[in-house]
Amino acid sequence: MAPARLRGALLHVLLMLTAAAFVFPVLYVVVVSLRPAGEGLSAGLFGGSLDLSHYETLLSGRRFPVAILNTAITSVGGALLTASACTIAAFALSRGEPTRLQRALLSAFLLLMMLPGLTNIIPLYKMASDLGLLNSYASLIIAFGGLGVPLGVWIMKGFFDAIPREIEEAAAIDGASRWQTLAQVIVPIALPAILANLLINIVYNWNNFFLPLMFTTQADRKVATVALFDYQVAYANTQNELVAAACVLIMIPPVVLFIAMRKRFMSGLAEGATKG
Amino acid sequence: MSSPIDAALAGPGSPRIRAGRPATRWTWLVLALVAPAAFLTVVIQVYPTLYSFYLSFGEVKAGKVALVGLDNYAWVFSSPKFWQSTQVTIVYGAAFVLLTFAIAMALALAFNSRIRGKGFYLTVIFVPWILSEITSGVIWRWMFLRDYGVLQNLLGPLFGDVTILATPVGAITVLVASNVWKSVAFALLLLLTALQTISTEIDEAARLDGAGLFRRLASITLPLIRPTATVVIAFMAIQAVNSIGMVMSVTEGGPGSSTEILSLFMYRQAMDFGKFGVGSAVAVVMFFVNLVFALTYLRALSKQSALGGR
Repeated sequence: MAPARLRGALLHVLLMLTAAAFVFPVLYVVVVSLRPAGEGLSAGLFGGSLDLSHYETLLSGRRFPVAILNTAITSVGGALLTASACTIAAFALSRGEPTRLQRALLSAFLLLMMLPGLTNIIPLYKMASDLGLLNSYASLIIAFGGLGVPLGVWIMKGFFDAIPREIEEAAAIDGASRWQTLAQVIVPIALPAILANLLINIVYNWNNFFLPLMFTTQADRKVATVALFDYQVAYANTQNELVAAACVLIMIPPVVLFIAMRKRFMSGLAEGATKG
Repeated sequence: MSSPIDAALAGPGSPRIRAGRPATRWTWLVLALVAPAAFLTVVIQVYPTLYSFYLSFGEVKAGKVALVGLDNYAWVFSSPKFWQSTQVTIVYGAAFVLLTFAIAMALALAFNSRIRGKGFYLTVIFVPWILSEITSGVIWRWMFLRDYGVLQNLLGPLFGDVTILATPVGAITVLVASNVWKSVAFALLLLLTALQTISTEIDEAARLDGAGLFRRLASITLPLIRPTATVVIAFMAIQAVNSIGMVMSVTEGGPGSSTEILSLFMYRQAMDFGKFGVGSAVAVVMFFVNLVFALTYLRALSKQSALGGR
């Protein structure tokens, strides 16, 4: 069947072009970050000399490593908070014939998932400022922790729903106490889902820009995305290559986490968003 | 031996609970286990929403809130800048939602066939979605820097040597393009998941009867995945209303205020001009817009599960 094969080949060419278009801006920033200051792409995508000095400047300085550390602490802290709260909540919401209370709570989380935090940014800022929590890790960790909850509950619930009740019953028949069942049967089965939920939230928190922008004013408390914004304002046009290097360093952890876990990541997202 | 976990594992229908224990015990248990998650969302989402309603009727001076009635709303609704901003948001939002949906749908159809390398293409297309708004914004802004950016150098001369980001039409086009680039993957994921659950038999029969690709798409495929399509559109619409990082880094609302969408208008009123009340009034308006889309989404979801699909 020549026409079918031709269509297949055509489809591949189209998909390759699409993939190239999607990856081009990322490739572009990587290439620019490796060029001498001011050179940009003037020597073409693959020509020109290699220059690692921007990475050296960023990593040997104080500001950027501190910003990355702040990002790591707050995004992991927030994700741990989200993941633990969501795991027990989703467990309670997925067991038994759903009662009216369980249904109501699930709908509330679903609605909250669709009402994003942006319109709450002014009151959140005022709350943090009134409580003297601006520039603190605590405020960011709690805020990240809370923002991830609605999606997290749904991701975990979808997962707990899929664990057959028979497994628990079999363990009980084998003489396992309920605590043993939980520790030795349920948690090990649920571990991949807990991990996926944790990673999705780490990536979200890592990338969050607007909330930390509002919550931090002190230079040594700024997270990486806010530092990048500052760099862009300060160095645009003069040191684009340095800003490019900062972009690359910030995007590495989420992209690596995503590629390593892409299947779980995608199924977790699809599950959370469409399993009403 | 009556720990919460015990009863949770047992469930409401189990003999352990039926035998002598009041049914309310299960209720308390669910509440106890959901409490931490509920507490977090109340502190971070529910209370701030109510607080923004309150702030929208007041004015913040030296940290204290003084009520001013409907003054903020009166100011907002009579401000030409607010209406201009609303207009920009609608144009930007509509273009963003339509393009994202169209591209994601085309890709989902391509991925739904038996082609090799699906996983690879999908992963590559997902990368923009994994990046921070600010990283993406910085990259896109650069690609259009005068005398430096690769796309400016490529496309600028085609339009009479303009600086693309310095023209209102160019700026909003770049803003839409960058957001579409970032969001296609998520829409694609949901649409592809839906396509994989519908039967291909009807489509096949129609194809044998000589129905063309667009005909089949309009009368068979789209109606079958309509709930998911609605979910995707509601998701994207909410994202359009609430994105701010990209616009702050790509165009900063400019040139002039030609790309100042509502979220940025809100932010500037509150943070740059210190008008927390006015900013909150805008936030309340945005909240109701979000609510409409969120309820649309919930309705589509319940239809979807009524149909038995995902």
